Amino acid sequence: MQRRWYTAGAIIAGFAMLATACTGGAGSTAGGGGTTKGEIIIASDQPTSGGDASDGLPAQNGIQFAVESAGSIKGFKLTFKGWDDTVNGTHDPQKGAQNIQEMISDAKILGMIGPNNSNVARAMIPIANRASFTMISAANTNECLTQTFAYCEADTGTTPAKLRPNGVNNYFRVAAADTFQGPAAADFVVDTLKLTKVAVWSDNETFGKGVADKFTAEITKKGGTVVLRQDFDTKTTNDWKPFLTDAKNKGAQAVYAGATSGTKICIPRAQMKGILDAPYLVPDGGVNSQCIKDAADNAANLYGTVAAADANQNPDAKATIDAFTKRFPKKEDVGSYTFPAMDCANILIDAIGRAIDANGGNMPSREQVRAAVAATKSFKGTTGTYTFDANGDPTSPTMAIFQTKGSPLDWVFVKQFGVGG
Amino acid sequence: MRGLLSRLGSILESDPRKNPNAVVYLVLAVATIAFPIGVQVATRGSGSFLISQAADAGVYILLAIGLNVVVGFAGLLDLGYAAFFAIGAYTYAFVASDHLEFTPIHQALHIPFWIALLVGMFAAAGAGAILGAPTLRLRGDYLAIVTLGFGEIVPRLFRNASTWTSGVNGISALDTPALPIWLNGPWSGDALAIVQNFKIIDPLAYYVIMAILVAISVLLVNNLRRSRMGRAWMAVREDEVAAAAMGVNTVGVKLLAFSIGAAFSGFAGTFYGAKLSLVSPENFGFTVSITILIMVVLGGMGNIPGVIVGALLIYYVIFNILPGLPQQASDFANSIGATSLNSPSGDWPGLAGEVQRLKYLIFGLILVLTMLLRPQGLLPSRQRAEELQKGVHDDTTIEDVNAETT
Amino acid sequence: MVGSLKQARIAFVGAPIGRLVNLLVILAVLYAIFILATKIFAQGPSYFLQILTFGVANGAIYALVALGYTMVYGIIELINFAHGDLFTLGGFISVFLLPIFGLDASKAGTPGIILPLLAVFIVTMLICGAINVTIERVAYRPLRHAPRLAPLITAVGMSFVLEGVMFLWKGPFNVPYPNLLPTNGIVIGGATIGVKDIFVIVVAAILMIVLALFVSRSTLGKAMRATAQDQDATELMGIDINRTIAATFFIGAVLAGAGGTIFGLYYNTLVFDLGFSAGLFAFTAAVFGGIGNIQGAALGGLLIGLITALWDGYMESTWTQVIIFAILILVLVFRPTGLLGMRVPEK
Repeated sequence: MQRRWYTAGAIIAGFAMLATACTGGAGSTAGGGGTTKGEIIIASDQPTSGGDASDGLPAQNGIQFAVESAGSIKGFKLTFKGWDDTVNGTHDPQKGAQNIQEMISDAKILGMIGPNNSNVARAMIPIANRASFTMISAANTNECLTQTFAYCEADTGTTPAKLRPNGVNNYFRVAAADTFQGPAAADFVVDTLKLTKVAVWSDNETFGKGVADKFTAEITKKGGTVVLRQDFDTKTTNDWKPFLTDAKNKGAQAVYAGATSGTKICIPRAQMKGILDAPYLVPDGGVNSQCIKDAADNAANLYGTVAAADANQNPDAKATIDAFTKRFPKKEDVGSYTFPAMDCANILIDAIGRAIDANGGNMPSREQVRAAVAATKSFKGTTGTYTFDANGDPTSPTMAIFQTKGSPLDWVFVKQFGVGG
Repeated sequence: MRGLLSRLGSILESDPRKNPNAVVYLVLAVATIAFPIGVQVATRGSGSFLISQAADAGVYILLAIGLNVVVGFAGLLDLGYAAFFAIGAYTYAFVASDHLEFTPIHQALHIPFWIALLVGMFAAAGAGAILGAPTLRLRGDYLAIVTLGFGEIVPRLFRNASTWTSGVNGISALDTPALPIWLNGPWSGDALAIVQNFKIIDPLAYYVIMAILVAISVLLVNNLRRSRMGRAWMAVREDEVAAAAMGVNTVGVKLLAFSIGAAFSGFAGTFYGAKLSLVSPENFGFTVSITILIMVVLGGMGNIPGVIVGALLIYYVIFNILPGLPQQASDFANSIGATSLNSPSGDWPGLAGEVQRLKYLIFGLILVLTMLLRPQGLLPSRQRAEELQKGVHDDTTIEDVNAETT
Repeated sequence: MVGSLKQARIAFVGAPIGRLVNLLVILAVLYAIFILATKIFAQGPSYFLQILTFGVANGAIYALVALGYTMVYGIIELINFAHGDLFTLGGFISVFLLPIFGLDASKAGTPGIILPLLAVFIVTMLICGAINVTIERVAYRPLRHAPRLAPLITAVGMSFVLEGVMFLWKGPFNVPYPNLLPTNGIVIGGATIGVKDIFVIVVAAILMIVLALFVSRSTLGKAMRATAQDQDATELMGIDINRTIAATFFIGAVLAGAGGTIFGLYYNTLVFDLGFSAGLFAFTAAVFGGIGNIQGAALGGLLIGLITALWDGYMESTWTQVIIFAILILVLVFRPTGLLGMRVPEK
């Protein structure tokens, strides 16, 4: 009996030692060397484990790369620190809220890049807002995070104003909102591909469902028909063949998927072989090498929209892309949000630089950094030139359309255009 | 007061080896008070995020206490407990936000947090009764499977019934808990003034609320366990047929175990919703149910302090150790001078990247090893420990239940 | 009997709510079936046949995994949460083995794939079996006389460990599985029954028949059934319990390994956490048919596959899982032993 208690004690002591080791470690990132004025940390919050990691890890790579290549800013050493918002295998708003509180408590962190999911963003923005803490997201596309529409409260229970108790905007993003991406794909289907009957499915997540709904609305507006509309629980669904057969019977000429690579976006494409020979359209969650792999021998005739300009179209960006590929050589290290996330990090670093100047070369306050980010004018990133409007959205965001072509098949740029504006 | 003092005295006098619970309670109580102070001292005043996280951990403590009633006391395996958590959280979202205005009801409700706690409790308890009623005939693992099905259905209902729950987007901007009246003063950094409708934002306040909620729950559960009902639960757990023969209303007893167990998750859900100001359907899945079950079993089924310790440890592992591990690993490599480990080359993604990929594995190994070393849990209930030593096939004595006191 | 009489008298507390809930659920399910039937009627027979084909093929895979759950549960009353992940691991192992046996997409659909594929199947099945026996030895056997929930937690732990191994191996991304089987099929009544569908159904059927024969005829099979009924008595009869239980785990894993390979060949994609949901559904299938009952698991798997395909094909697919679990609850409430019955439920 007594010995058993010793085991229990030993296990608890083991956890306790881990605990002290961890808290000790967390505090020990100090230093920064004698030659610099101090250290500034760029934080990120992405889902980097579990099923969402296929979206989160490539984005984190982009941020890490931006911070590592900058190295320092106006005499301050720059360090990257990544947080993971995955709990129990899925992105978790509670964990996101904890992460941002931890970031805020570290005076060296002047801003963060992320998060990946709109629900996590809703939990984080109010907390960051009270501390004037800058957030720049590469992937949140839900329009209700920044813009006030009549349906926002009914759809998401909140408005941008409610999320910002301070009244001053601290949340910026480079991705064009869902309001642009779905319609852009719909316009492309009707105007360029000249097709009118479409089957639409979504992963029933904030992003996927939102973009599929916007696509459906625009197609209908343009005189086309959505012959079949389904939402799937992609964690438990493996078989899309009933849906695809139904779509074929109802005369679908194209299929639109509202999902991401984490939610099997291009798996149905492979299953279309032998059932339905039609173009397959994806939003930016699918424009990556993973999608081509998943579509297997049916990867041709895929179209994708990306809510940011194509990094490869920008000649200045080529050197950056090459350097990134050298640092992260694996093909799956790059995702559709890698370069947008890298741009977010560079925008933040640039703003911190201006804030340091504004503060006479000293460590700026978070409010100064926030103001500097808001004042970002024509920042040239790998994916476009960014200026933020009062909501924190990019002014005249760019939408690019891609297609799979060539041998071996790869995403090829088709066209890009400004939307909204 | 004298009763309390004499109880405290008896705790101090009791032999820790015979009754470690008293010591554990004492340690937990002291730690609860010392934690915020210690954290602020250790982090030089910037530790409020840790206090906030500790308050979040309390949610899981409440859940574990509630599940312990079902699994530990009544011996009913519940694999869908997160469903009640979801019901509690969504209840708060419905009764304390503008949301209902956008549902077919068209009338927002703003019930104060303190009353909403009770509403959430009754909603979850009601759900427990509704689930329990038709499934009472089932025994053992078949009940577990029904609860599993229920646990799968409820979050999907919240996700799919978007007219009522705004679907995948969840409901956000829930009301912040508020005190009707509060005295501002130098301690909060303001001038001395009486504030009406004071909104609670400070993490420490949440921590205090949570500590009180946990303390109330522990008292309630302890009293329940010592009551007639508690003894009936244990009788049902040990031998249902014998219990029924002795006149125990097994049906009612099981139903109450379900309801009361669920009630605590109503507390937890309300607090969760109020603190996060957001509920979304993807965070109440099967993994959450399993996590809570792990907390209960690993801590020591049936023993409340054990369950609390288990909840704290697992919470700490899942929310702190695992997510922070890659950073820790690369910091550690830097501190011992092995910086080359951190730079990626070829297939090696750098130490942090590699550890990132190891998280699942490490969590799994922690579970397996702890269970192999302490199959009865870290702090098992005394009776269960004895059962284990005698072996499960030996006759267990029910009168032990009466003798068991804390 | 006195107990059950008393129970009947006091059951009356919960009975009215219980009956009301039951009634509502039955009405809902009847309504759903009615809607489904009208839709099936409206869409014509060829589409129905097509959906049935998908459902049966899907169900065959669930059935293979369900068998592992049911056998393990039958013998040691453990819900082996790691079993679904073993199924995924089978897929991962076979995708690793394919190039070793000279199989790649260029040989797709040729007769030359038959023998190497058979070899891949056998090796994968053996490796999975060996892994599961090891898991049983390390994580479950030491806890055989521990409190009942302890092995359940180690099973969850092993599930995380297996998922961790696969995450480490292939990352969080979908793993492509080469499309080796011919993609053509036969057209019957307007529906295309693919070679793939036939392959899945035939292989699964062969495996299940072999298993059924093994359990009913062989000495080891008899030992398994005896152990499931009464461990102590079986031990007294001179049967090595440990060996019998290990054999059960081995056979369950062999089927899971085959299931993973079939899944890969059929869907051409795998992902590290696939086994989590697949396992949950396979387990549901096992309970459906009557846990501990081999024919029941096969039937349950088939039904789950059919319900999924029908609901996905005719109704809103977001509700598919809700329907499956609602039917599961109903089956258990009205027929607590599952469709085909199981061993007497006594803990």
